[in-house]
Amino acid sequence: MERGQLTASSNALTVSNLSVSYGRVAAVHDVSFKVAEGECVALVGPNGNGKSSIVMGIAGLVQRRGRVEIFGRVARAGDVAFMPRHGFTLVPERRQLYPQLSVADNVVLGCFSRTRSLRRAVTSAAHRQALELFPELADRMGQKAGTLSGGEQQMVAIARGLAADPRILAVDEPCLGLAEAVSRRVYEALARIHEAGRTLLIVEESPVRALQLATRQVEVRNGVVVRA
Amino acid sequence: MKLGNLIISGIVTGSIYASFAACVALWYRVSNILNLAVGDFAMIGALGVDNLVSVHHWRVAPAIVVILAAVALSAYLYDRIVLRLAQDGRTRQEGIVVTFFFTFALSFFIEGIAEVLYGTNVHAAPALWNGHSLSLGGGLHVDRAGVLIVAFAAVVGLATSVAMRRTMQGKAIQACGENFFGARIVGIDNRRYRRLLFIASALLACVFGILESPITGYTYNSGAAISLTGFIAAAYAGFQRPGKAVVAGLGIGVLEALLGGYVSANYADTILYAILAAAVLARPSAMGLDVVPE
Amino acid sequence: MAAVTTTATRPGRRLAADRGPLLSTAFVLIAGLIIAGGAADSYLGSVVILALTYAIVTAGMAVQIGFSQQVVFSQSVFMGLGAYGVAVLNANEGWPSLLALVAITVASAGVAWVIGKAVSRASGLALAVATLMFPLIAFGYVSYANWLGGSIGMPLTGNLWPGGSSSTANGILTVVIVAVVVFATTRLVASDVGLEMYVLGVNEKTAQAMGVRTARRRLELFILGSVLATLGGAVYAGTQLFVPPTLVQATAELSLLIMLFVGGRRSVLGAVLGAVGIQYFTGISNTISVHILLIEGVLITVVLLIEPEGVAGIVSRLWRLAAARTPAIARLVGADPAMVPPPILDGDAGVGVSGELAAASEPETTAFRRHFAARRADTESSSETLLRCQSVSKEFGGLRVLRDVDIELPQRGIFGLCGPNGAGKSTLLNVVGGSLAPTSGAVALAGQDITALPAAERFGLGVSRTFQAVHLIRGRTVLDNVAVACLRSRGSSLLRGIVASRLSEARADAIEALEYLGLDDLAHHEVSSLTLETQRMVELARAMASRPTLLLLDEPASGLSTPQRGRLKDVMRSIGEVTCVLLVEHDLDLIAAIAERIYVLESGALVFTGTGEEFRSSGTVSSLLIEASPTTTSGGEQ
Repeated sequence: MERGQLTASSNALTVSNLSVSYGRVAAVHDVSFKVAEGECVALVGPNGNGKSSIVMGIAGLVQRRGRVEIFGRVARAGDVAFMPRHGFTLVPERRQLYPQLSVADNVVLGCFSRTRSLRRAVTSAAHRQALELFPELADRMGQKAGTLSGGEQQMVAIARGLAADPRILAVDEPCLGLAEAVSRRVYEALARIHEAGRTLLIVEESPVRALQLATRQVEVRNGVVVRA
Repeated sequence: MKLGNLIISGIVTGSIYASFAACVALWYRVSNILNLAVGDFAMIGALGVDNLVSVHHWRVAPAIVVILAAVALSAYLYDRIVLRLAQDGRTRQEGIVVTFFFTFALSFFIEGIAEVLYGTNVHAAPALWNGHSLSLGGGLHVDRAGVLIVAFAAVVGLATSVAMRRTMQGKAIQACGENFFGARIVGIDNRRYRRLLFIASALLACVFGILESPITGYTYNSGAAISLTGFIAAAYAGFQRPGKAVVAGLGIGVLEALLGGYVSANYADTILYAILAAAVLARPSAMGLDVVPE
Repeated sequence: MAAVTTTATRPGRRLAADRGPLLSTAFVLIAGLIIAGGAADSYLGSVVILALTYAIVTAGMAVQIGFSQQVVFSQSVFMGLGAYGVAVLNANEGWPSLLALVAITVASAGVAWVIGKAVSRASGLALAVATLMFPLIAFGYVSYANWLGGSIGMPLTGNLWPGGSSSTANGILTVVIVAVVVFATTRLVASDVGLEMYVLGVNEKTAQAMGVRTARRRLELFILGSVLATLGGAVYAGTQLFVPPTLVQATAELSLLIMLFVGGRRSVLGAVLGAVGIQYFTGISNTISVHILLIEGVLITVVLLIEPEGVAGIVSRLWRLAAARTPAIARLVGADPAMVPPPILDGDAGVGVSGELAAASEPETTAFRRHFAARRADTESSSETLLRCQSVSKEFGGLRVLRDVDIELPQRGIFGLCGPNGAGKSTLLNVVGGSLAPTSGAVALAGQDITALPAAERFGLGVSRTFQAVHLIRGRTVLDNVAVACLRSRGSSLLRGIVASRLSEARADAIEALEYLGLDDLAHHEVSSLTLETQRMVELARAMASRPTLLLLDEPASGLSTPQRGRLKDVMRSIGEVTCVLLVEHDLDLIAAIAERIYVLESGALVFTGTGEEFRSSGTVSSLLIEASPTTTSGGEQ
């Protein structure tokens, strides 16, 4: 199959035989699963079993083997812009913001895969919606992202992900290091994102939390899917 | 009157330092590597054009074009071969050694090539704007080359600072320096930016070398001192803000001219470096230099 | 858990470790004497003698720049100090060169101390940038200084060896000096002070938290590197009989760095071989010396790309390969076959703990266990206060992160600290640990006011901590990582490290701490080959190894799975029986289950203090941390 070519598959995301390894250490072996449009799938399992490596492999941020299909297109390996451009955005573990840039700049950079015009990015519907989801960020827009609390940073990271206008939003450990109250706020936002019709792929260590929202779970142990 | 003329010549050299400081700071933001070869690209510009014009009897315009093209190609190849191997492999090399030594090596290499090609004599590219120095009234004078330099520096400086603040690409460049992984998340190909900015800063340096060499003259090893001063100016801005680096560069240029005019012509540079070292040591944390990039 | 071995290092390993410096020195001495003694009058001999003068300098650089990662660019300046110093004393004052060499080397220690005082204020990039100016300043001065011969240079009248013009005597003297330098520096690197310097190079914060006086060590390193550079310069003057100003140029500095990098920046022997190799090839081939810039540029790039540790790195890789195949070689060179080279990991895989905790009630077979058993007995009925924070406040640029916090902790037990993100938990921990000074208020430990003490000195008083992110020293074994906390060298000088290293005692202590947490089987593994859980356990072992009275733990459970948290809980419980633990944690169930008292911070102020039961039922807590609905416990351990 030619890369980038359309296939007949109707799945939003199809992962086939995905493997990720770091040097000699394999983190993910031959993982396959599918996500249909509109689903909310939780990727669960204890920490250190390869869940993050799976989503990073899908996003093309680490070297991978195997095939990733997004809305019928086979993803090109080694092109970091491919997945965001085709509707898959990752909100990574530990947020990975740009600490010295303002909150506004952090969010607007989420639009990078869609447009190179700052004006068009700021006025786009996705950018507006992303900010509307977190009214608490409104008076923080000029502040450096690094000075925010962990919870606010997580909101900025999710807003940045949404600014790309993804059809599938992958969120890696959204509550890591957050207090309970903030975790609830984060999940509330995720629920609204899902209600708005976006497909969600959530990586969670705690199945209790993930199941509040997830329609299905994929369980990962030792780099292998044990239950899909 | 003497003071005025010294300040003018200081502003001219300062513009060069300022521009190189901006180049160093900008590229450091993207790559976390200090470009200590930037002055050597300036030297190659000056010596290369001079060689084509005075030895091979080319006309000035095609000589400049050819040299710029050659520099761009070399910068491209350096990125594709050396930086790619160093940074894009499975193990990304990091730390203070990488920050300094790859470009030190490049600087050595360029100087070695220049020594072979152009010998050890002083050369200068032909002046682009011929004639006596311009009088500003009141006994103040400025070299025509100096006018060109300041004008070019102002245009480049303004364009960069607007681009950094007002464009998506500029913000993407800043994001690359802030968080390597975070930039890739939103689809920013930081390798491409690293390459483009490396080539752009080599070309800018090259143009400055061609413009400035009629004033001071260059030898194969003139580049290191220029890179270093630009690098110090960039350090004053903590490699963070190209705008602040420009101010620091101008200040260093004026200080150097004043030291040369009033204190000692022989020891002007020596005193300047001593002042710079003392300034770094006085408040190391103020420059954001006390932290090794992670 | 098996019976405990009290001898930390197997005798064979210890012997081999001690043999390293001797082997290196013997090698330098024999090879040098053969060449310099046998062929000193030939051209080759003179090239080698010149090369050896540079080797003295690069040996010091290997310790300072490579091993301890203090990048400075001032070596050529001190080389100039040595060379010009000897030249002036010899040519102008009529001193014999050898006497001048001794005088100037001793004097250089004083000069380096003065400059070092200013320079070691800075570290990292700032240190490099500031010292980068030194060769430029020195060259600018020297080339116009008529009393030093200006741009021409300065001749000497007498050889290093006083007995006339014998090159052989000169050569032998040079070789002996190099051998002594190699012996001293290799011993230093392998000593307890060497381990301190290594940690300092990897992460200054960790070093401070482990009690390393970082400013002092940086100063000592600067003096060491500078004195050796001066010595090298002095030998240069005494053997070459002429001092050119180019010796102090920036280019000369970079050439020295290239010798270091090509040879292997962390290895003394590599640095010596790098200097000799490059000087040798420059000396014998005209093509090379004419194109030296070009060749050095390519060389350093290739070395950095292929093997950042240089030739020494390639050789040690081969040794390790050979040692893995043939134990005889391993015994000979003292290579540690169990030291696994680090694969790149994200915590998803790796070597893990057995999960068994050696129960604290086991027979008191080690000094470590006896210490804590005694402490437990001592503090059984004591109601004495260990830590007292009195109205501690901290402001960052007008923002109040801590407001009048009062905390009192007894001699033992586990005490929890929770609060929403940004409430000031980590700040409080840093104030107690000493890495931040409070804006107002006082911190006292066992009645002693420690508010003004830096982290390194609090460590000496029994305050030990872990970090939110794992701060282990990559490239060293588990044993050495823990041994850092047991070093006895803290107050002693760098020279003491050369003369009498007590690293094996520190390692013996470390083994006991590892055994206590059931980690002793992993002692010889490289730390980055471990799983996240094990890395956290090793950090815990390191924090315990110094036998602390107060243990500060910053989110030890973050990133761990539920069963892993269960194991961690057991470990912490047994630690809490012998020492006082202040625990910052987001996992409310974990904290409620093990802490006997819990403090809740909000916006920098203490809003709740109470037991685990009160904590669970408190309205303040739930509105703040759980938001008014019944608990959503995950795992539900009580």
